[in-house]
Amino acid sequence: MDRVRTNRRVKTLVASAIPVTWVVVLLLVPYALLLIQSFWRLRNGTLTHELTTENYRRLFGTSLYPATILYSAGVALRVTVFSLLLAFPVAYVLAFKVRKHKTLLYMAVIIPLWVSYVVRAYAWKIILGQQGILNGLLMSMGIIRTPLTVLLYSTAAVVLALTHIYTPFTLMPIYAVLDAIPPALKEASQDLYANRWRTFIHVILPLSLPGVVAGCTFAFVLSMGDFLAPQLLGGNDSALMVSNLVWSLFGVAYNWPLGAAVSVVMLALTLVLLWVAGRVEARGSYGGEARASVTDYAAPV
Amino acid sequence: MLGALLAGCGGGGSHSNAPHGLASKIAITATGDARADAATYLKQLCPKPIGGELNFMVWEGYTDSVFTAPFERACGVKINATYMGSSDDLVAKLRAGGSQTIDLVSPSSDAITEIIQAGLAAALDTTRLPSFGDLMAGFRALPVARSGGKTYGEPWAFGPNPLIYDSTKVTPRPVSWAVFWDDRYKGRISVQDDIATLYMVAQYLGLDDPKDPAKLYNLSDADLDKVKAKAMELRPRVRKYWSTAGDMTQLFQSGEIVLGEGWPLMTHQLRAVKFPAAEVIPNEGTTAWADHWVLTSGAQNLDAAYAWLEYAAQPFTQKMLADVTGYIVANPGARAYMTPEQATGQHDISEYGAHVNFWQWGSKRDKYQEIWNAVKAAQ
Repeated sequence: MDRVRTNRRVKTLVASAIPVTWVVVLLLVPYALLLIQSFWRLRNGTLTHELTTENYRRLFGTSLYPATILYSAGVALRVTVFSLLLAFPVAYVLAFKVRKHKTLLYMAVIIPLWVSYVVRAYAWKIILGQQGILNGLLMSMGIIRTPLTVLLYSTAAVVLALTHIYTPFTLMPIYAVLDAIPPALKEASQDLYANRWRTFIHVILPLSLPGVVAGCTFAFVLSMGDFLAPQLLGGNDSALMVSNLVWSLFGVAYNWPLGAAVSVVMLALTLVLLWVAGRVEARGSYGGEARASVTDYAAPV
Repeated sequence: MLGALLAGCGGGGSHSNAPHGLASKIAITATGDARADAATYLKQLCPKPIGGELNFMVWEGYTDSVFTAPFERACGVKINATYMGSSDDLVAKLRAGGSQTIDLVSPSSDAITEIIQAGLAAALDTTRLPSFGDLMAGFRALPVARSGGKTYGEPWAFGPNPLIYDSTKVTPRPVSWAVFWDDRYKGRISVQDDIATLYMVAQYLGLDDPKDPAKLYNLSDADLDKVKAKAMELRPRVRKYWSTAGDMTQLFQSGEIVLGEGWPLMTHQLRAVKFPAAEVIPNEGTTAWADHWVLTSGAQNLDAAYAWLEYAAQPFTQKMLADVTGYIVANPGARAYMTPEQATGQHDISEYGAHVNFWQWGSKRDKYQEIWNAVKAAQ
């Protein structure tokens, strides 16, 4: 009896060793190093192992850093709203209206994920440029006389490209939740004389909240941490998001301590966001099988 | 055989396991055809393959297959090249451990001093480079590539950061950087995503002292505030900041911009595709760069590295470099391979200094970086 129990315990230990090692070696240790790094001092371009809070004071004391974090959050918020507005209706139609070829359609929506990010960003350059397809179309239709410059190398272009890239990430969890809602609940609502609208508001929407929160968190966190879109599609006022700043501090200025401090602040913001999202989900979910929580998927940036 | 012996002696402190005959100069009969001469030369430089790989981190255009592929074939060395986005990019990579994985780099006159000071470079054993003396004397004499009586860099090419413009859209020919603040070209300008743009603004403001080139790279805080304010005025006029030569040429070709500050490489590439690009060094002057080949402190495959350095110094190799980049090359002998028209673009570095200020590494580089990011950041 005891041997069986010990055996099982050993097996559990061995089985959990791999994920635990993974988390410790690839997540906790690097984050701890990042945190320590953010307190080192840079002297004449060389890292010295003296503890200082100078990096954080510089971070919060120079408008550049908070302003860039706020700008990035603003871009991420817009991307989240647009992604949700696009993803929810599509997920709804896929889950409830489409009978045939459901998987095929779902794949069609997800397919952009298989195309390289850079290729998609360049495609937007071709579409949005002054001699691009969209300007050409608008001019040939006589809607505009001179090409619109706001379409490319602008915040609008960055938001558009990020929305394109992260909408599938929003769609997947929403679809998963909607698809798992038992048809019986909808039928019950209709049996109680609720019209479609009331059914949607009182049954479908509350049940979909965990998926919506998960999807929005994906869109927000991923686009907030993006650095390619501003670099490729950003213009004079939109070329710098917080990740570009971190990249510049690590890869150009060789100021790892300050770069680490900015990363730590970003990580803290992300963790707060995930915690809030987790709370909202916990209130919204009804404990059935239709759960898709942020914490099921999400790895912090 | 004698060459191999000499190299063995001259190799000194370096790994001299089976060095190839590099110490004696290889003479070939020049035919006037750079490619053919390179092939003849390489047969003697590498009578048998050296093998292994060389990792480069260089500016765009410096490992064009026109001259790297014949070397790779003849010497059996695989070249892996990465482009650097800026001088700081290179220094940061080497500092972060890159000097152990990268063998050869092509820093400009600013980064090279920092790389040497930080102990990231290995001194060159010029006895293994018999053609070193063929390179422009003034270029070899530049203090930036020397430290403690040792030579760290092999001269490669130099050039300015000119104002490049579309000659069909920008008339008359610009003579001042002031054209960047001209309302006619608002939103049709591109400048480099680098502190080099701050140098240009400072030169426009007259803060560059011809008698003291170092001043531009070590401006006072008050001067830097002026530069920042003027750069903020430039900001809404910029369409996009470029980070690679490809970015800039694409911006011209897609009609997004009509002028900007760039490298002669871009003018050269644009003209190659029949784009009406022109360049000018404005009255206020401009900055310039002088690029060297530098061996890193962790370079391993030294036989291959020295074979490359010796090959890189040859006049026919340098002629091919000029073809690809349009830069002024370090071996004046390359002019013998050029058409008279191409040769007029080549200058001696000592007669080149009047209007240009060669990049230096300033003590306040970090501050310049932060100002540049602040110019780029959302307001």
